Amino acid sequence: MSNKKVKIYSTPACIYCKMAKDFLKRNNIEYEEHNVAEDSAAREEMEKKSHQLGVPVIEIDGEVFVGFNRGDIQQALGL
Amino acid sequence: MVDLVIIGGGPAGVTAGVYAARKKMKAVLITDNFGGQSIVSEDIQNWIGIKSIAGFDLARDLEDQLRAQKGLEIIDGDLVVKVEKAGEGFAVSTQRGKTIETKTILVCSGSGRRKLGVKGEGPLNGKGVAYCSICDAPLFKDKIVAVIGGGNAGLESVRDLLQYSKKIYLMEFLDVIKGDAVTFENIKKDPKVEVIMSAAVQEILGDNLVSGLKYQDRKTNEIKELKLDGVFVEIGSTPSADFLGDLVQKNQYKEITVDCLTQKTSQEGIWAAGDVSSGLYKQNNIAVGDACKAVLNIYDYLSSQDIGKK
Repeated sequence: MSNKKVKIYSTPACIYCKMAKDFLKRNNIEYEEHNVAEDSAAREEMEKKSHQLGVPVIEIDGEVFVGFNRGDIQQALGL
Repeated sequence: MVDLVIIGGGPAGVTAGVYAARKKMKAVLITDNFGGQSIVSEDIQNWIGIKSIAGFDLARDLEDQLRAQKGLEIIDGDLVVKVEKAGEGFAVSTQRGKTIETKTILVCSGSGRRKLGVKGEGPLNGKGVAYCSICDAPLFKDKIVAVIGGGNAGLESVRDLLQYSKKIYLMEFLDVIKGDAVTFENIKKDPKVEVIMSAAVQEILGDNLVSGLKYQDRKTNEIKELKLDGVFVEIGSTPSADFLGDLVQKNQYKEITVDCLTQKTSQEGIWAAGDVSSGLYKQNNIAVGDACKAVLNIYDYLSSQDIGKK
């Protein structure tokens, strides 16, 4: 079990966000989700952290990943 | 040395994995992800055996079936970056530093999104340049955007953006729209949409974020500029086979040329199936059949080699 803090910035229809969340769930990783389509504060936070506008953005213990790259996330979580 | 390396985790790759495991071949499947390109489809109605399934669910089912195979090694979250001849077989290298020696290879790496290849596109990727309208459209609320490409994907992209953006330019290189005529007529009626035909995009402008776009009007040769906040690129796909270099023959579309009886490429020991190969029609069902055929042929090939050695 990983006890790293995982945050995901997403939009509701985004399939890569859904893939990322499904991947986390399947690996029993808890995460906090922010819907940037509705939450403008979260959107600003995401833009500030990732310097870009695309979703998903995944933050793992302060490390920021743009898009869902399974390998990067596996590595960051030590899976 | 393994018997077979399968490159890709779409419908073709997964089929290959299942058949290789059932033939008890010593096989390794390498993929960055599962499901292939139709993972983004909302509803697939032509996947034989199931009346209707979301691309996402199909991807999960494919992954689950693959993982249920005994004896198959799966390397996921990684990408093949190079294939070279090595001894009597090949060496397959991955982005994360793995090298696997194998007797045979089945390439099922599919296609990837085609890029414009213009100045500014790379540096501004994610900073206004986007490739997934259904994902990123909500982030362009009240902004001005351009959609590049008048095929079905481009038209759908305009439709996704209509809910959010205040102005959408639909730009097409040709002087005809190739996408669905009914969809196009509907989109065109919307006052927020402006269609620009015969437009060759030359540069995406912007320092930290997209600020505009430069294009050439192919009819007048005039160079024009648009002020924009976002550019959605929807210009089709291109086969993912760069990692093979000149090892195999490719056709004019950069697809790997295959013999349709066996899926063999021009290089002995390498087969290809699915969208990366030159077979006609890019379909999940075809990819599955071709990959199945390829693995059975690889099995025969390896068996005959073993007999030869004895």
